[in-house]
Amino acid sequence: MSFVTQRPLELILARNLMSALSTPAFLVDEGGLLVFYNEAAGMLLGKRFEELGTVGPQEWGSLFGPFDESGEPIPYDDLPLVRAVRAGRPAHAELTIRSTDGTQHDVEVSAFPIQTPHGSQGAIAVFWPSLVNGNGAGRA
Amino acid sequence: MKVKLWGTRGSIPAPGPETIRYGGNTSCVGVTLADGSMLALDAGTGIRCLGLALPDEPTRLHILLTHLHLDHIQGLVFFAPAFRPQTEIVIWGPASPEASLRDRIARYISAPLSPVEVRELPCDVSFRHCPESEWEIGSARIRAGSVSHRGPTLGYRIDDGDSSLAYIPDHEPALGADLDELEEDWISGFELARDASLLIHDGQYTDAEYPGHVGWGHSATSHALSFARRTAAERTVLFHHDPLHSDDQLDALAAEAREKWVELGGDAGAIELAAERSEYELPVRAPQATATA
Repeated sequence: MSFVTQRPLELILARNLMSALSTPAFLVDEGGLLVFYNEAAGMLLGKRFEELGTVGPQEWGSLFGPFDESGEPIPYDDLPLVRAVRAGRPAHAELTIRSTDGTQHDVEVSAFPIQTPHGSQGAIAVFWPSLVNGNGAGRA
Repeated sequence: MKVKLWGTRGSIPAPGPETIRYGGNTSCVGVTLADGSMLALDAGTGIRCLGLALPDEPTRLHILLTHLHLDHIQGLVFFAPAFRPQTEIVIWGPASPEASLRDRIARYISAPLSPVEVRELPCDVSFRHCPESEWEIGSARIRAGSVSHRGPTLGYRIDDGDSSLAYIPDHEPALGADLDELEEDWISGFELARDASLLIHDGQYTDAEYPGHVGWGHSATSHALSFARRTAAERTVLFHHDPLHSDDQLDALAAEAREKWVELGGDAGAIELAAERSEYELPVRAPQATATA
C-alpha cells in the first residue's frame, strides 16, 4: 500500500494549539514551507490561510513585505522564522508587515524551532503587537 | 493473520461481575502472523493470560508497546514465557530523549514495584526503539507512528499479505481538531489506519463523558467513528474501555455506536466493542501463482 505523507505529530499538535489561540501564529515545516497560520494571523494579514494555502519559503517571506524600522525590506535569511528553522534556535525581531489591503502593522515576532526526538520538524512564530511602535495598530 | 484480544480495558484492571463479558484486563492483543510469528501488542494485564496460552516450548515473540503507561506494561512481570530460559522476547517501544526503553521499563520491573529485576529475567530479552521507517517481523511489515496521547505514544500498523491491522488503543485525534473537516495529512494516526482491514481504536469515553476529559489522551465514541470513517477502515473495534463502564453500559454504547455508524453511511456490522478473548481472522491472500516453463 502507499502511505499519505503525514505531518509529524508535533506539527499536528502545534496546529491544533494555534487554531485555538487568539494570538496570530504561523507554522512552517522543516523545509521552511508555510503550512499553516491561524485565524488571528489571517485577520492581521487580510487573507485566511484557506485562501492562501501552503506557500514556499521565498514566497511567504516577501508576500507580506516585512520591513525593518527604516522601511527597508528584511532579507529573507534574517526573518525570525527562517533563523529558527535553520539554526534551531529561538529568534525575535520587531518588524512591520503589510496586509493585503495595504495597511501596515508594527509587530514583534518570536519564533522558536520545533525539536523532536527525530530532529527539527519546523518552527512556530507568534506575532505580538509592538509596544514600541503604536501597539500594532494598523496604519495606512 | 489471527488476532485475539486478551485485554480490552483502559487505565486500570476492572475485574468483577459487572465486567465479565467485555473483560477487566488491560490492553493486550495477540497476533499470529501468516508464517506463525507471534506478536503481542501491549503488555497490560491481559498478557498474563496470553502467556499461559502459549506452549511451553522454545518460543520467539515480539512485544510491541504503544507507550509505557502502567495499563500497557503491567503484565510484563506476570508473563510466564519471560521466566523460561528457552524464550526469546524482543520488546519494541517508543524512543524518548530521557532514557532508553530498557531503562524506562526497568523503573517498573525493579524494587520496590517488582520482585524481580530486568537482568534477572531468565528469558533472552532485548529492547529496541521502533524505527521511523517500516520494518519486518516474520511475514509482516510493521510501521509505528507517533499519535496524539499523553507522553511519547505510538500506534502500529501490521501488514501481512493483503491484510492489515491498525492498533491505536490510546488516541485523542480530535483534541483541538475537527476530524470531519481536517485534511487527511493533518489527522493524527491517519496513515496507520488508512484502509486497514481491522482497526482497533480508542473508544474510552461516551460523547457525554468526553467534555470532562478533554486532553486526557482518549477518544469519545463519535471521535473514534469519525476517525474510522475518514481512514476508511473496513472494520473497527472500539477498545480501551473505561474502567467505570459495566457490561450493560458497554452494550448500550455498542448500540449507540452502531446507530451513529449507520447514520454516517456505514454498515452496522463493521463496528463493535472489544470483548476479551474475541478473535478475528484476517484473510491473507497468497501471491498469485505464476506459470513456469
